[in-house]
Amino acid sequence: MPNSFDIEMVNTSQITKTRRVVPIIAAVALFALFGLGYFVVGFDQGQLFSIAEGQMAYGQMNGVGYLHEFTHDMRHASGFPCH
Amino acid sequence: MKTLSFLFIVVIAGLLAGLFHGIINVAVVEPYLDRAIGIENQRMFDEGQTQNTPQFWQQFSDYRTWQKEGSVVSGGILGIATGSLFGLVFAYSRHMLPGQNNVKKALLLATIMWAALYFIPFLKYPANPPTVGDPHTIVLRATTYALFVALSGLGAFGFSRLYKKMQNKKFVAFLGYAVFIGAMFVIMPPNPDKISTPMELVNGFRAISAITMTAYWIVNALILGWLWNKVQPHVENQEIQK
Ligand SMILES: [Zn+2]
Repeated sequence: MPNSFDIEMVNTSQITKTRRVVPIIAAVALFALFGLGYFVVGFDQGQLFSIAEGQMAYGQMNGVGYLHEFTHDMRHASGFPCH
Repeated sequence: MKTLSFLFIVVIAGLLAGLFHGIINVAVVEPYLDRAIGIENQRMFDEGQTQNTPQFWQQFSDYRTWQKEGSVVSGGILGIATGSLFGLVFAYSRHMLPGQNNVKKALLLATIMWAALYFIPFLKYPANPPTVGDPHTIVLRATTYALFVALSGLGAFGFSRLYKKMQNKKFVAFLGYAVFIGAMFVIMPPNPDKISTPMELVNGFRAISAITMTAYWIVNALILGWLWNKVQPHVENQEIQK
């Protein structure tokens, strides 16, 4: 079965060319998911919730941010720096 | 491209692999974390910060249960995050990856991305269990780690472009990345923290957490490759009918 790339190789018109390309909206969505999730699990110390809660977000759980405590074990296990 | 199908299989593959990662971690990585946190508690008792009471242990046990549940959910979140980047790069590079089968293609790409985004950074900045890291150096450690991952990832991306352009002597691209990342190894500052936790615990934790991270990448690649074979999101409907 030909895939769209094969078709593009044979037919180089503009129309087929745009088919293979990941739609820009999908690329942006996936990259945003990556950035957000990677930050939340790997690095957040309260920054994300501080957008809504201000300074309070940095000390919800015994002086540490909620997301930091919630993701804590996975943060260590997946190699991110922690305490 | 069938955009929704594409997004769906990418996110599902990441989520399932991430949940798998979170669940096996509860079984095999958590014992190391519990031991490390036990050392931490002992220090707090010795320094008089907390009393060694039944109430403490009750609260502590509830808290750790919550954190372990959080760890599985976080595995799902990290799986979606990493899996999204993986799926995106797969969609762009699939036609360049050798082989006919999307499972094989996905496994090859996962190997490259695992090395560039996880394992090579791990060699420079190895994972540590709790109690090792000094809270005062977290900004420095987080910045250097993020920077190293970004440099390694962008370096791999750049040299993959070179690999594509080279007609022969393609090994030059690998050599280029090796020289680049070798230089970064030397230039980037080391982790400043002194380790006072028993090395047997630290090394055991590092080994087992590296194994489960590797398992995550393999499972994500297997699921995405398998789903890609089934769903064929790159093929337009009318093309299938041809
Ligand atoms: Zn920690």
